[in-house]
Amino acid sequence: MGLTNVVRAMHRQVHSAVSRGTVNAAEIAHFSRLSSQWWDEQGEFAFLHKMNPVRVQFIREKLLEVAREEHEGEDALSSKGLHGLDVLDVGCGGGLLSESLARLGANTLGIDASESNVKIAKLHASADPKLERLSYVNTAAESLLESPKRYDVVCSMEVLEHVDNPASFLSTCAELVKPGGHLFLSTISRSPLAYFLTIFLAEDLLRKVSRGTHTYSKFIKPTELVAFFQKHHSSASADPQYLEHATLSRPWISPQASSVSPPRKEAEVRGLIYHPLQSKWLLAPRDAWGATDCNYIFWTRKPSE
Amino acid sequence: MQVWDGISDARLTFSASEIGLERPQEGMARLTENLNLQRGLLRHLEKLPEVQLIDKTKVQSIIRDTEERGGWPLVHLDNGRVLRARLLVGADGFNSPVRSYAQISSFGWSYDTQGIVATMVHPPRGAFQGPNTTCYQRFLPTGPIAFLPLSPTVSSLVWSTRPHIASALTASDPDVFASMINAAFRLPELSLRYLYNRIIEAQANGTPLTHAEIQQEILWREQSHSIDHNSAYASAVIQPNADVGVPAADSESLPPLVTSLQPGTVATFPLRFNHTDSYIGEGQGSRTVLVGDAAHTVHPLAGQGLNLGIADVECLARCIDDALQKGGDVGSYTALLPYAQERYLENHTLMSAIDKLHKLYTSTLEPVVWARSVGVEVLNEFDSIKAALMMTAGARDHKLNNAAAGWNMAAKGVEGLAAGVNAAKLLSGGIGGMIGMGL
Ligand SMILES: Cc1cc2nc3c(=O)[nH]c(=O)nc-3n(C[C@H](O)[C@H](O)[C@H](O)COP(=O)(O)OP(=O)(O)OC[C@H]3O[C@@H](n4cnc5c(N)ncnc54)[C@H](O)[C@@H]3O)c2cc1C
Repeated sequence: MGLTNVVRAMHRQVHSAVSRGTVNAAEIAHFSRLSSQWWDEQGEFAFLHKMNPVRVQFIREKLLEVAREEHEGEDALSSKGLHGLDVLDVGCGGGLLSESLARLGANTLGIDASESNVKIAKLHASADPKLERLSYVNTAAESLLESPKRYDVVCSMEVLEHVDNPASFLSTCAELVKPGGHLFLSTISRSPLAYFLTIFLAEDLLRKVSRGTHTYSKFIKPTELVAFFQKHHSSASADPQYLEHATLSRPWISPQASSVSPPRKEAEVRGLIYHPLQSKWLLAPRDAWGATDCNYIFWTRKPSE
Repeated sequence: MQVWDGISDARLTFSASEIGLERPQEGMARLTENLNLQRGLLRHLEKLPEVQLIDKTKVQSIIRDTEERGGWPLVHLDNGRVLRARLLVGADGFNSPVRSYAQISSFGWSYDTQGIVATMVHPPRGAFQGPNTTCYQRFLPTGPIAFLPLSPTVSSLVWSTRPHIASALTASDPDVFASMINAAFRLPELSLRYLYNRIIEAQANGTPLTHAEIQQEILWREQSHSIDHNSAYASAVIQPNADVGVPAADSESLPPLVTSLQPGTVATFPLRFNHTDSYIGEGQGSRTVLVGDAAHTVHPLAGQGLNLGIADVECLARCIDDALQKGGDVGSYTALLPYAQERYLENHTLMSAIDKLHKLYTSTLEPVVWARSVGVEVLNEFDSIKAALMMTAGARDHKLNNAAAGWNMAAKGVEGLAAGVNAAKLLSGGIGGMIGMGL
């Protein structure tokens, strides 16, 4: 499974993080080798490269849709998609998603806990003169809370299934979103299908991926994500401007709604399906039965009041 | 469009009104001189300020940038400029420098055939004959000769033939060459072979044939085949006022008689089949993509070369646009892959079918010639196959899936008939039976 390969490679790079020090020529050579792995589109990360355009498509179309609904009646110019937005990519890896978002005009910050990943991402982006809106920092999401800076869009792709405390991770990501801003997550569902594909097939049977890469119990179902945000109230912000409303803030998703199909303007879950004949990933149609049983992408929005 | 076999004379007739086009009066295809197309495109480019054209400049070399700088192609121009390319599109023809840079190998072969092109001048069609809007193509054992109308009095020639014949024809006096073009559409194959030899011998003896001499030779051949001088098949004596009065009975079956060639328009090219192993550069050749003749070269018998290239470009532009919409890097393998997936197989199918037709039609083996004539006549009965053939010849809609299928079916049909020909002859004892079986 390509995805599990990706994860394995990510793990390896996390563990191979080199010690800090001044950058020397040997180090540059080392990172460009690693970089050529992350960016070898037919290599270990091929699935991720193929999946990336579909995620970007979802993000872009969602933002355009929301903008169109909010600016109904105004001219189409008001919906510029990602252009000019402040976007945070949590767990940016080699920078696949971050580069795409920056190319679409977003002021993009990619962060990753692995120093090596960040160096790879920086090196790759430095070759491209069109990526001046892109920057990377080697840090954990939690440490960004110390700064008052908040983002129009926070993305975190294929990270949730690897964190030890998903609830705290989700709260952190949610906290980093500006009021009225957007949160996009993609991950693997905890379903018999996901178990079969990612653990039984890839790890146990085919031994393509070292055992223990994935932990079934860490997979999160879309309904669990929805349920989380039905209870999640934006906490009192560090910014005093929002403090007085803190007690009034409503949860991100209406608690009375069904967690299977949340209100369309508050959240959306779409399956990402691999089409083996066309060898590409497709965005499953809304409400396609069973489509969210394995890889899926989730969107929700922070209430603006 | 009229297509016929040089040996058996079996003929296919296509017309726009037969295939249910929405606007048959527009015809089934347009012939455009490359020069006009290029002029139109250049004019369009002038309107696009974001496009910068550097002309009268050659690409001297292409070098890969360092690994740390991403290994992008650096294009060195002969004026000293260096362009760093996110995506380098190789639209640089058969000897593509981009293809060499990307180290993309190709497979193919030469046809031992030269293509002669020229612009022909002829009188307008007479009042009873309709306008000059029909293409003619005769499949001779040496290769096909095609007449492509451009205006009432000007048409284009594409004549594929053996190299020694091509060099003899193009070395001749232009009027001698014009006479040979007329003869090549009309005289039986045996006489053509005789005429080629006469021209070659005379040239070898240092006394090339004059216009009067070749006309005399053609007249004798016509007389020996009992071709009446009023027939459309006669070209030895060009009637001064052939375009007035009632035309010869067969005149619609043949192109107008060529009176001269436009000076400076005669050129020859070696013909070959060539297809690269890939359209996208990888590894050391990343950020490159091939379109047009850089990716594939076909025999011009179907007039498809440029059309294939235009379809490539249309598809590539769509893929680039799609990648841009999704924030993709247009030089990446991921962005370019859909282009290769869409075009490679389609081009290959069409190219193989054209190649097959060339091989079948240059054969003089008796069963193949017989099957060919039956095949062509069977095809003439099948409106759907004809329609498919016509659609492709004009590439009216290059996304049409049966485009390649049409050519393939034509080639397969003839091939299959040739293979089963002896058994079929025994069984049916004739063409009628064969058509019955084919249906
Ligand atoms: C005899 C004959 C008849 C044909 N008849 C037809 C027909 O009827 N219909 C049809 O559709 N097709 C026909 N074709 C095919 C058609 O001509 C080609 O398919 C078409 O021209 C290919 O276009 P292209 O742009 O890919 O390549 P080309 O037309 O070969 O263009 C390549 C360009 O790249 C430039 N270039 C190359 N190297 C360099 C360099 N180092 N620096 C700068 N520039 C460079 C060249 O100058 C040239 O302008 C015929 C071909 C032949 C040989």
